[in-house]
Amino acid sequence: MSQTNPSQDIIGQPSNRSSSDLDDPAPPMISNDGVVAIDITQKFLSAAATLEPGDLIKDGYFTLFEAVGALEIMDPKMDSGCLAPGESLDEDYDVTRPLSPSEVLGIIDQLLCLELAWNLGYPLSQTLLTNVYIEAMLMPSPVTIGEADFIRNRKHEPRDPMFAVLRAYCLGLLKCCFYVNERIKFEHYYEEEDFVTNTYHRSLLDDIDREEIREEIMAARRLLHSLRQDISGEMADALGFRLELRAAFLRAIELSDLRSNPESLSLPWSQMKAVWDTINKSRHLGTPVPEAFSTKIQRKLASTMPPRPIVQPSFEETYEQFKKLFADGIDVLKVLNYVDSQSLLNFVLTFQAQKPQPLVYIRTLLQSFLFKDMIVLGHLSIRQVVDDDLAIVVLPASRLLDPANDIVEAIHDPRFAIAHQMEQFRLRAAQSYLDIFRAFCQNRCRVRRTLCHSIQDWETVQVDAEEIDTLLQHQLEEKPMPYQTPLTSTPTSSGSEPLAYALPLSSWAYLYKLRLMEWIVQLGFELETYQPDELAGMYWYLSHLAKTRAQHVERIKVFTVQCMNEQRTNSTLTAAGEAQFTRSLEYLRVTILDAAVTWELADSLCCLYTVLQRLRLVVAPPRPYSTDELRYDIRMKPFAAIGLPELPSFDSFSRATAQPESATADLLEYAGRAVAGARKGYEVLAKLNEGDAFTAHSHARWLAGTKNCLKSVIAVNIAISTVRKVMGGLGRGEGDAEAGARLKTEVPRPDKCYHDWWIVPKVSEKK
Amino acid sequence: METTGRADLPGELKYVQYEHSLEAQYLPAIRALISKDLSEPYSIYVYRYFLYQWGHLCYMALDPVDSSLIGVIICKLEPHASHSPPTLRGYIAMLAVSSPYRGHGVATALVKMAIDAMARRNADEIVLETEETNVPAMRLYERLGFLRSKKLHRYYLNGNSAYRLVLLLRPIDPDAAADLSLDDIDLAPR
Ligand SMILES: CC(C)(COP(=O)(O)OP(=O)(O)OC[C@H]1O[C@@H](n2cnc3c(N)ncnc32)[C@H](O)[C@@H]1OP(=O)(O)O)[C@@H](O)C(=O)NCCC(=O)NCCS
Repeated sequence: MSQTNPSQDIIGQPSNRSSSDLDDPAPPMISNDGVVAIDITQKFLSAAATLEPGDLIKDGYFTLFEAVGALEIMDPKMDSGCLAPGESLDEDYDVTRPLSPSEVLGIIDQLLCLELAWNLGYPLSQTLLTNVYIEAMLMPSPVTIGEADFIRNRKHEPRDPMFAVLRAYCLGLLKCCFYVNERIKFEHYYEEEDFVTNTYHRSLLDDIDREEIREEIMAARRLLHSLRQDISGEMADALGFRLELRAAFLRAIELSDLRSNPESLSLPWSQMKAVWDTINKSRHLGTPVPEAFSTKIQRKLASTMPPRPIVQPSFEETYEQFKKLFADGIDVLKVLNYVDSQSLLNFVLTFQAQKPQPLVYIRTLLQSFLFKDMIVLGHLSIRQVVDDDLAIVVLPASRLLDPANDIVEAIHDPRFAIAHQMEQFRLRAAQSYLDIFRAFCQNRCRVRRTLCHSIQDWETVQVDAEEIDTLLQHQLEEKPMPYQTPLTSTPTSSGSEPLAYALPLSSWAYLYKLRLMEWIVQLGFELETYQPDELAGMYWYLSHLAKTRAQHVERIKVFTVQCMNEQRTNSTLTAAGEAQFTRSLEYLRVTILDAAVTWELADSLCCLYTVLQRLRLVVAPPRPYSTDELRYDIRMKPFAAIGLPELPSFDSFSRATAQPESATADLLEYAGRAVAGARKGYEVLAKLNEGDAFTAHSHARWLAGTKNCLKSVIAVNIAISTVRKVMGGLGRGEGDAEAGARLKTEVPRPDKCYHDWWIVPKVSEKK
Repeated sequence: METTGRADLPGELKYVQYEHSLEAQYLPAIRALISKDLSEPYSIYVYRYFLYQWGHLCYMALDPVDSSLIGVIICKLEPHASHSPPTLRGYIAMLAVSSPYRGHGVATALVKMAIDAMARRNADEIVLETEETNVPAMRLYERLGFLRSKKLHRYYLNGNSAYRLVLLLRPIDPDAAADLSLDDIDLAPR
């Protein structure tokens, strides 16, 4: 069961309660026209007196959620006003006490750790809002830049230089937090799971102008420069770099709204990256000031939560995480260089597959680049991206995508109808298409959960697309061609191949649905959803899906080639059209290859795990309360409602996985051949350049992933050989049991594998 | 999580179904046992929410000599709203065994009793969440037949993720399969 932050957002502050307050409840004086107050105290008390302790009187609307949110008065872990004997309600830290340069540095460095904790998903109340200087700066809420100071109402005397530095740092920090919070709130994320946007009614300098804050930071840097003699150049630099970090962060945020010209947008990110190392190296100059941070401040926040501990990552972790954040900040900008829709998809897939995953701020930044104001990457209409994708996947040089169709006004012209029907299709499919990108911007657990829903949606997109395909066939006067689907090998009565139409739009939808289904299974491996004895079956299902995809793309290819030949024959193929066909066929080739290596590697792992189960090296737990079939029902629940490809029955799934008719040696041999095929395929993939692989601006990440698959292939091969060797050395009358006794197996966790999606068992001979 | 200084069981434990009349005697001990492994305590209302409505799905393992509490399991059983037609879904909310007595099958016995009780009341399925790092709990449930259906990102206040574990007791109605959601919002509030 999960625990919950009880009623988060309550206006007003808890009072300092003591037992005497409870003894003497003064009845409130209610006087208002139309309100007749009746004192029910006695009635209530006598009704309550009839209850035994522990009796629960509740209506049907009192849910577990309310129960978890309820507080117990006078329990120090729940009642925020409950004090230990002698404990004071407030912090008694004096923010006007002089600070040494090294203390300022110490405070700033602790603030950095807390800022990171907030970015990792912990609430402000347990991170930045535990700092007394920040609290003093934010309360009461400042309206002008002058008021934004932890020492208010200063007479005209100049600020102490160290106060000026700390103040400028805090100004920059809070304004950054404001923008980060706004960005995240604006995009799709999961509150509390990914991030807590609650500011507890504190304004993060919302109304103070960014330029004024920048000016204060610049002034403080100049001030530091003039202090080099007094506080040492080293110290002045150390503080100066921290201010530079704040200024650059603000600038980076400001520029990211532009969504164009990624090179110039990356300048402040590079600056942060550079200065971050220097900051790390000067950490030792700081003196911690732990008393400047207090959980007691939480009592003043608009929350009923009692003070909870400060969440403070180590500086080492802070260093690594921010370093990654800055690198990701530079990287994510590259998405703005749009080349084609498939490269865009690969960018998002590989960017989000990184371990650790980019922080939520970067993930929401990517979302804003992709979707803000319905303009993709700041300059493309959704239609442009969708049409680009259709042209790559199913409709190169097609009349269906000719923009000139839109201006045809003669309603009997087929182009008029085409324009209309294509628009209907875009209206139907564009959202589902963009949702794939959005889904992959979520945390990994949510990606998988979201895709489980999306496949339902794509199921209907495919059906609707097929309807539009049929209408378009008429407009295009398309003639069906002989085509035999490999899966449904039912020959027609005449023995000739059945006739088929291209069905480009539904083919496109089906291809995405298949990919989504594969991703769901693959993320299952990555998220350790399957137990070891499930792996054979899940790799079998993955190979089934990938094989279906390969066959489907082969079908698309047949029609694409046919269409190209037609255009050649009747000399309507232009040079631009030729180039589109070439690009599309390249895409189809890579996709078939990708599907083929997936199916072969999955196939080999399926066989290998089946063998390990026969040898009792992977053993299923007893499971007295379950049956294989019931577990199949749960495991395959996301796919159960999908019509195409239909979920295999439990019986055919079990037989395909266990392969009872094949001898163990044959399974191993088959696995060996499959993995050899996968190896060849991955080697070809690994040699592709970014144009051919459709990996513009993410090629290095994609290539690293592909090479990790290749390493997985090699590891599978080693495991197979190890088992074969032992099987080969068996004596007469010895079998699986004896072989199993001579081997040991470990099923590693995904983070110990070369690739998260390929859980390769480590098999070794016993000494 | 692991046992420090493992004790032998004090003979054959008594397994007792909770009832309301036992509140004064056992609720404080139940709270203390459960709270030990929580960073934030549940309020008394959470315990009463379960125990008052589903006391018959709560079992206690007691010391045969002094009847002190050694282990406890707390559950509920309700129609699950987001399903059409709704399923009757059991939920294991809390389970704990006093640390010196772990590793003797006490939790396993408690979980079995709870499953049996829910199955007798026609539960279609039983679900629960457990921390991704809680290997002993996951092993225990998986050994009985539970399956991880999904991972829940940063599900707990301490920032840890969880797994949703599901035990299906009877086949899913194929006509109801349109609800693929495997969703949970109503069960475990965050
Ligand atoms: C999880 C928890 C309830 C398990 O309690 P437990 O009584 O130790 O569990 P069991 O004894 O039934 O099972 C634990 C081990 O003992 C073994 N065991 C089972 N019966 C046994 C027996 N009769 N004799 C000896 N060992 C036995 C089990 O095989 C199991 O072995 P494993 O470690 O290889 O999986 C306990 O660790 C706990 O209270 N943890 C803190 C609270 C918590 O995490 N609750 C779960 C939240 S969902």
